Amino acid sequence: MPNNHNLSVIGHAQIKIDAMGKVTGETKYADDLVLPRMVYGKLLRSVYPHARIIGIDASRARALPGVFAVITGKDLPIKYGIMPSTQDEEALCVDRVRFVGDPVAAVAAIDEETAERALELIEVEYEPLAPVMNIRDALDEKFPQIHAYADHHNIHKFVALEFGDLDAGFRAAEYVREDVFFYEGDTHLAMEEHACIGHFSADGKLTLYSSTQTPHYVHRALEKALQFPRGHIRVIAAPVGGGFGGKTDPFSHEVVACKLSMLTGRPVKITLTREEVFYTHRGRHPVLMWIKSGVKRDGQITALHFKTILDGGAYGSYGIASTYYTGALQTVTYKIPTYKFEGVRVFTNKPPCGPKRGHGTPQPRFGLEVHLDKIARELNLDPAEMRRKYVVDDGTQTVNHLTITSCGLRECIDEVVKASDWKNRKSQIPNSKSQIKRGLGIACSSYLSGAGLPIYWNDLPHSGVIVKVDRGGGVAVFCGSTDIGQGSDSLLAYIAAEEFGLKPQDIKVFSADTDLTPVDLGSYSSRVTVMTGNACIQAARIVKEKILQASAEKLLVPPASLAMRDGVVICEDDENRKLSFVQAINLAEAKFGTLTGTGSYKPPKRAGPFKGSGVGPSPSYSYSACVAAVAVDTETGEVKVEKLFLAHDGGRAINPLSVIGQTEGSAYMGFGEALMEESAFRKNMHKIPSLLDYKSPTTLDTPELHAILVETIDPEGPYGAKEAGQGPLLPVPPAIANAIFDAVGVRIDEVPITPDKVLRALEEKSKGNAPRFGPKDFPVIKMPEAIKVEPPDAKHAPRLVQ
Amino acid sequence: MKSFELHDAGTVQEAVALLNKFGPSAKIVAGGSDLVTGVMKDWVHGKGMPIPEKLIDVTAIPEMIGITIAANGGATIGAATTLTSITESKDLDQKWAVLTQSAASVASPLIRNFGTLGGNINQRPRCWFLRGEHFDCYKKGGDFCFAVTGDNRYHAIIGGELCYIVHPSDVATSLLALNASANIAGPSGTRAVAFDSYFTGPREDVLRENVLKHDELMVNVTIPALAPNTKTAWSKLKDRQVYDFALVSVAVVVTQENGAWRDGRIVLGGVAPVPYRAKVIEQALVGKNIKDTIKAAASTLKTVARPMSLNAYKVDLAINLIERTVLNAL
Amino acid sequence: MKQILRLRINNQNYEVYAPIHKTLLEILREDLNLTGTKHGCELGECGTCTVLIDGEPVLSCLILPVAVQGRAITTIEGMADGIMPHPLQTAFAELGAAQCGYCTPGMLLTSKALLDQNPQPTRDEIKHALAGNLCRCTGYTKIYEAVEQASKT
Repeated sequence: MPNNHNLSVIGHAQIKIDAMGKVTGETKYADDLVLPRMVYGKLLRSVYPHARIIGIDASRARALPGVFAVITGKDLPIKYGIMPSTQDEEALCVDRVRFVGDPVAAVAAIDEETAERALELIEVEYEPLAPVMNIRDALDEKFPQIHAYADHHNIHKFVALEFGDLDAGFRAAEYVREDVFFYEGDTHLAMEEHACIGHFSADGKLTLYSSTQTPHYVHRALEKALQFPRGHIRVIAAPVGGGFGGKTDPFSHEVVACKLSMLTGRPVKITLTREEVFYTHRGRHPVLMWIKSGVKRDGQITALHFKTILDGGAYGSYGIASTYYTGALQTVTYKIPTYKFEGVRVFTNKPPCGPKRGHGTPQPRFGLEVHLDKIARELNLDPAEMRRKYVVDDGTQTVNHLTITSCGLRECIDEVVKASDWKNRKSQIPNSKSQIKRGLGIACSSYLSGAGLPIYWNDLPHSGVIVKVDRGGGVAVFCGSTDIGQGSDSLLAYIAAEEFGLKPQDIKVFSADTDLTPVDLGSYSSRVTVMTGNACIQAARIVKEKILQASAEKLLVPPASLAMRDGVVICEDDENRKLSFVQAINLAEAKFGTLTGTGSYKPPKRAGPFKGSGVGPSPSYSYSACVAAVAVDTETGEVKVEKLFLAHDGGRAINPLSVIGQTEGSAYMGFGEALMEESAFRKNMHKIPSLLDYKSPTTLDTPELHAILVETIDPEGPYGAKEAGQGPLLPVPPAIANAIFDAVGVRIDEVPITPDKVLRALEEKSKGNAPRFGPKDFPVIKMPEAIKVEPPDAKHAPRLVQ
Repeated sequence: MKSFELHDAGTVQEAVALLNKFGPSAKIVAGGSDLVTGVMKDWVHGKGMPIPEKLIDVTAIPEMIGITIAANGGATIGAATTLTSITESKDLDQKWAVLTQSAASVASPLIRNFGTLGGNINQRPRCWFLRGEHFDCYKKGGDFCFAVTGDNRYHAIIGGELCYIVHPSDVATSLLALNASANIAGPSGTRAVAFDSYFTGPREDVLRENVLKHDELMVNVTIPALAPNTKTAWSKLKDRQVYDFALVSVAVVVTQENGAWRDGRIVLGGVAPVPYRAKVIEQALVGKNIKDTIKAAASTLKTVARPMSLNAYKVDLAINLIERTVLNAL
Repeated sequence: MKQILRLRINNQNYEVYAPIHKTLLEILREDLNLTGTKHGCELGECGTCTVLIDGEPVLSCLILPVAVQGRAITTIEGMADGIMPHPLQTAFAELGAAQCGYCTPGMLLTSKALLDQNPQPTRDEIKHALAGNLCRCTGYTKIYEAVEQASKT
């Protein structure tokens, strides 16, 4: 563990600054806000997965008493979207609906009930089109095209990249293996349903309060969709009741609430129902994967060829990034000297997929880690030892030009191996006669600490912080970052407190308000701790320098001899020479004027020299290792995950309590994806979009979680911190699948791993067939020629061992 | 939620009179867990399943609440008794553990604290097509069963015809195993109906799941004393440990004689449109040593099961669960 | 159809004139501005809207308020004693049992009902008591630890 004794706040368990508000019910989430004269908006949604809109007659709705406005796609014709290259969303569909739930009209009314009644009075005439409901349909050109801008028919995007000489890599291999995997889609299911209030006020300014993780991107989208100057729009993110990526796109209800307010002059609130949240989605892409690797007899990888097909749903969302992410981070855990990645994203008539915790990486991680487990079994190697041996080294670059600044994966593996008593796992001991069989499985992973590039191309800071110190002693931190429960507001308070020698409770944090706070790109890609943290240190130190300089003059000592701690500015050489914090800042304000400091953070420019290199680079990568302990009932197929041991290298833990909380929460969510959660469809409809049918694990399902922190001190991070909010999810599903094999000798090559799949695999095994359940094959797709990229020439880059 | 009129009934007679007066547009409400969410808030309606306009609250009727143990060793449980009261009743648990265990496996503690026995027995099914707004199925008065060609993972493996729902009630399954009966009040007085003949399959009437007429209500449930040497057991398989309905549940009541099956019932939930009494298995066990026979007996379920395209796994689950539950009872 | 409801909430009497088909959840949030009670589904499937009726945790989204007139209703706003937080509230804050905080009011009230009936619950009893309250952030571990800490104070 790192040495924290020079730090008084950082590295120590802290209560979050918003905790008491949350436990008393005082915290105001977006739907808790009420404004005078507020009216209620509702969206009418398509009941067809794919149809042309022939006409909309809203006259009866407009005539209903209590209705203030009714709008349709004609009122909001400008398309928008999170990625600059896929501006394909309409706030209300103009002439085509692309999934059940696609909004076509909206009303503002005196109350929700009147608004609902008004929706029933809107008549929409549709001409249904054949729906494209899965990857197979999307590859079949007999089905109608969903978006004209796609790369090819319903193939939204092709990606093909080759790093190093793959053929040579396979020639050097002593064992080559191919596998096919499927990872079903699932959704974030934050407990808070999205809500917002649009308020076009008498001064001609527009304010949006919203449960969003990305107020900055919403700000930009509103400008475009509403054709209204951004300088006159203010977006305020309310405390978010859970995000997990589900609140990172600009959404139709946000645009619509603003538009309805602009038409009525009243604040308009829209709160989605749980059903609508399922339609809003942007959840995990279903991904079909094909993987072929070549290894030496000791498990060293010589070549990796990886193909993915992502079922993207009806719109682009973050999908292009998601597609690249299914390939980009496969190289960051183990040394891989040659690598080819081919990714395809298709459009289908389902709610759009997007970023969910781990964005595009849990699926390929599942495939790779189960594939490696199979290799270990074939080669009679210990799966933990095989992985451990070829972990990437600090200070190296991967074959696809990603820079490893620090890697604690080996320690993570050691920790979970020790904690789980790995060496005594069931495959090492004959199983009992009971129908309950136990086993252990291991998997590892890596995730980025913030995307190295912004969503839209620019040369601006990714995160800005202003620190303002008031002559009364108040310290205020202003930052555009958004607290979604991960504790980003508290992070700013911890850092300011550390720098000024105060307590976190002494710091006031103002965040996520596009008028008051400098831009932060948002709470996604695990970027906040590293990026706002660095910006906050920079801002605080500017102010601190002024305070120390003014204090030094007063105390007649050099500034370098002064420290700020325990609420005083004190001379380290002569502890009698000291000033209270308030005295010191008054001296500083007198000398320098109003005391503020600004900090800006831009990640290091490290993208490789090829098209598509923008996805993958990060200031640093976190590492995780997981061992799952399962009990499989061979009669019912039920899998009980008894324990999850999860060691996470998130760099220095700024608040260890929060990092453990993020690790446990990620493990829980990975567990849910592995066994229970799926966004499934039947008869072209979402399977009943409810919390009953979407199986979110309860207390009685969730395994015992054992989180272990491995703290490398990363050179890029604030005080050495890396990410913790997403990475620990990744190894959980493959660790569980590998544990099931350890227990009963069958491979379930798709998630969720439900009892019926386990039973079918056991049945195959008993018949002497391949003991496996999973996809049989991978479609043949005519791919463009891969872009060939030379590996980096840094002397530490992995090299093929001939 | 849809608007409605609410009427309080102080006595069973008042409730019946109100039902009679309002006709089929009125429904009884107690805990409301199913009625409020499933029907009033949701979209589960059709021409054969109209949204009720009038609700009659029966939670203030004294004789519909509470648990009474009779001198003959039987019990009477008011239909408006909460499921939590049942799970927490030591009397019931000592004598009829299969009932308290099945009640404890319903939904979540938060639902059981307000949900009632009668509400659980008489709730509408949970087929996702029935509960889906855009599926005009037989049960809603339409002319199609979407499960036949659609995703039928959770649907009936036995006794489906026209409609392939599974009966959603856990306590109904155990009450049938206990040979309990329902006391039903109607305009012409009270009648007792054994659970053996309480439930209505789709073949008889696809629009309903039991014999209750629109002007009748379930007042209470009577459970007979168990014969000597009788034991019970309950199992429920579900995808998720809380909130979920049964994939398969099994209620066993068995009277033994020197290790042999003398009498008893094996009732399955989650497999058929009504709680399903597996007589074929009971018959295979009669007079035989249970431990020796159960495996073969349980597998006779295959002779009556007619699984659909995606739910054959439920046949295996049921067979395994029957074997296990019967052995657990011993 | 509107009616006058007489509700006793957090030891205060309220009279509300409201449509009969509003749920207790809607009355609390919309008519009484007690927005500490949250909603996650409004279909009885998540536990987010939990309140106590006569000390028992129930789902306010399923309850017709007429049915609970005259009974003691406790919401999250009634949990602290003035400015003194309930030990459970302190423990949840101190141990990081509230991340996004949205399920927290329901979790706290269910935990309170448990500790009121069973002041020293085992881990297993805590799991069973909280089985109807979904949380997506914590994996529940910190919540168990907080209930255990509160049970010791």
